[in-house]
Amino acid sequence: MHDVTMSALHHALRGLSARQRTIADNIANLETPEFLAGRVDFESSLSAAVQAGDPGAAEISTSRSMAATGVNGNNVNLDQETLTLIETDLRYQMTSQAVSNKFGLLRTAIKGGA
Amino acid sequence: MATFPVLSTMANGLSVFRTWMDAVGDNLANLNTVRRTDEAAFQARFVVAEAVDYGNAATPGIGSGSRVAGVAFGSAEGRLVHDPEHPLADEDGMVRLPDIDMATQMTQLIQAQRGYQANLAVVDRARDAYLAALQIGK
Repeated sequence: MHDVTMSALHHALRGLSARQRTIADNIANLETPEFLAGRVDFESSLSAAVQAGDPGAAEISTSRSMAATGVNGNNVNLDQETLTLIETDLRYQMTSQAVSNKFGLLRTAIKGGA
Repeated sequence: MATFPVLSTMANGLSVFRTWMDAVGDNLANLNTVRRTDEAAFQARFVVAEAVDYGNAATPGIGSGSRVAGVAFGSAEGRLVHDPEHPLADEDGMVRLPDIDMATQMTQLIQAQRGYQANLAVVDRARDAYLAALQIGK
């Protein structure tokens, strides 16, 4: 039941949800002095793990943006965060749809196509 | 961790921006608060925000929004204005007014309002994603 596809989708959802939380944190700190925007990367690790045949080994890495800061030491860029948030949410919905489709296949197999 | 972590992060963010709007409202309401010269002027309120679970350079992690760390106060000195007719005026005809600039406060009000709106927009988007997750397998 828990094959490579399902495992890869699961890790993609985890990574996307981590990115969502990070963007939420960035936007909540839009005006917090000395706050550096958080970044999440899981794609490179997941892609390497899928190639190696074990998506379960994928890791989520977080870092702080090194972009130039404003006078209050904050570098959150609302335009960029909003666009990334929209992209992340759409990808999350797409991935969860893929999980559903995968379950749909299972259901078909269980019902024997009836 | 909360069931829907983005929502609690946003709740933190929203309360910072709302507190900021409250402070600006208080400052604007007291723009013309007159005091005797032997009293302190109304002091402008500044909201101090800080990140929650910011982590450090080695392990940045994912934070949980922002919170109000405290309130800082502006000058108690204010400015002295000559208004001999005023019932609170001293023998030289002076009264004390707060040193608050209306344009600065209005600018901050807009900043706080936009921040609040940005936080609310995130709530909407996160809700869509959470709903999609709840539909898995249906």
